[in-house]
Amino acid sequence: MKPLIDRPGSRPWLKVVPWIVVLALCVLPLIIRNDFYLDALILIFLWGAYAGAWNILAGYAGMMSLGHSAFFGIGAYTSTLLLLRFGLSPWIGMLAGGLFASTIGLILGVICFRLRSHYFALATLAFGEVGYICAVNFRSLTGGSEGLALPIRPDALLFSFAGKLPYVYIGLFLFLAVIAISYAIEHSRLGYYLTAFRENENAARALGVRTGRVRLIAMVLSSFISAVMGTFYAQYVVFIDPSSVMRIQISVQVALFAIVGGIGTTLGPAIGAMIFVPIAMLLRAEMGTSLPGLHMIIYGVILVLVLLYMPQGIGPKLKEKIPFLRSP
Amino acid sequence: MDPTLFTQLLISGILLGGIYALASIGLTLIFGVMKIVNFAHGEFFMVAMYLTYWVVHYFHIDPYLATLILVPVVFLIGIVTYYLFIRPTLSSSVLAQIFITVGLSTIIQNVVLLFWSADFRSISLGYATDSLVLGPFPALHIEEAMVSPARLIAFGLAILLSLAFYLFLKLSYTGKIIRATSQDRSAALLMGINTDRIYRLTFAIGIVLVGLAGGLVLPVYSVHPFVGFDFVLIMFVVVVLGGMGSVVGAMVSGLIIGVVEVFSSYWIGQENKQVIYFLVFIAILVVRPSGLFGLKEEEELEHIETID
Repeated sequence: MKPLIDRPGSRPWLKVVPWIVVLALCVLPLIIRNDFYLDALILIFLWGAYAGAWNILAGYAGMMSLGHSAFFGIGAYTSTLLLLRFGLSPWIGMLAGGLFASTIGLILGVICFRLRSHYFALATLAFGEVGYICAVNFRSLTGGSEGLALPIRPDALLFSFAGKLPYVYIGLFLFLAVIAISYAIEHSRLGYYLTAFRENENAARALGVRTGRVRLIAMVLSSFISAVMGTFYAQYVVFIDPSSVMRIQISVQVALFAIVGGIGTTLGPAIGAMIFVPIAMLLRAEMGTSLPGLHMIIYGVILVLVLLYMPQGIGPKLKEKIPFLRSP
Repeated sequence: MDPTLFTQLLISGILLGGIYALASIGLTLIFGVMKIVNFAHGEFFMVAMYLTYWVVHYFHIDPYLATLILVPVVFLIGIVTYYLFIRPTLSSSVLAQIFITVGLSTIIQNVVLLFWSADFRSISLGYATDSLVLGPFPALHIEEAMVSPARLIAFGLAILLSLAFYLFLKLSYTGKIIRATSQDRSAALLMGINTDRIYRLTFAIGIVLVGLAGGLVLPVYSVHPFVGFDFVLIMFVVVVLGGMGSVVGAMVSGLIIGVVEVFSSYWIGQENKQVIYFLVFIAILVVRPSGLFGLKEEEELEHIETID
């Protein structure tokens, strides 16, 4: 339970801690010279930010989406196609993808305005699958299941770099930006409206919260950020295909990160990514591709255990256990 | 449209729809009684297909016989799943209810992938391999229509099993109790019904029904670790169209979706057909979330789902 009023001065040094962490994150990539760890860092930032986007809709507004891969995919495909077809810089493509995805998100939000919980999950699941089918079948546009390879010619203006370091910092920036947005939402009127809507829609409405509107805002924000992360993924991996950016597994994975880390909290999705990304990377490094799907089994088992034994997620549990982290 | 072609497509659609109906009854039953959507439903379909495949493979018995022999095994899987995953989350938040089965589905898919690889496996019936020929019916301007025996048998058994289950639900005392619990859990509890027992039974029956459907289609479709996902998406469409919780609705809309699928794959191509029924799906969810045979008023529908 968070105290309603911040008592300034109780433990003022705690205010400094987040900045120290941010500073450490900025310096860390310079110390790590190993590509494997840098790769891990980039993926943590990528998934942390993406899970944060999912959390805005699912955590704060309580609308559990199972189709967030579609927004990620829209971002990846929009910027990539604009680059390949028109030579447009992915920096602009990133914005275009975000706007396109949030328009689709807005339409989906309007269409599904009556649906709650299970029904919303089902509708978004179908929506995500429609995205996948479109990506596979509109071969002339998307290249179908063979995917699209991006040109590799390092140029900062074209969002393409030779080393991993620039990607680390772009990832870090996006990661911190999503955390900041989540923090801002949580501590703003919008956040309270969303929580009110999530907890009891009728009561919120009775108190004058325009539930329809705040829900759409969450939808738009969430889909925009997801698409931006899709572009980042495409530029980093330089190859996209329907199964790597549009598949249902991606929607499940992003939800899983946020839930295990702590749904509806500012840092939960980031914590989830920090837990899961290294698991997948270590398994891949140790076993190669000899045991396909092993990391997904572990992901699934952790998800089930967390839901059964600490449904609020690992982040809030840590906060509870370690007095140092507790809010003053 | 040419009447012969029309008949051929209609027959294929109905045969397919029978399987969809049987597979979806379990899903709608579980939702109706327990108010949870089993996102892992397709995985039980897939597991039943694999079990049937292995029994046929090692013991060389008839696939339909194998399907029946496996019923107690699948029932037991249902009971164990209920105790491990479903029962502990029945009173949890909607989040836990949705993602416990999503997580379960991820685990089952990938465990199967790990043990049995992504290879497509299929069996063929030793008998009845030639297509049956229906017609011609000159009076209706219909020439010959071809029917695959494996599909016909699967359809016949699926309809038989669906009707048998429907009669069980309508006529038996246990069926009555299940229906009562579905209609009003608190009232059922007050009437002295052991709802925990009914939940357990319902869940296991739901899994058995989808398992039977899985076994029946094995001679028609290949089995691979992700086959359940393809089917479960259709089952969702069927269940939502029929009205979540309505067994009759699932049976009728199973047939409808089968026909829709065959016709749309004829008109717009095998690859794009899924887009059609997903759009149908979203359209139903939006226009009439209670479905064709929905028991609940829409007003009520909107209010059950407040997040804890």
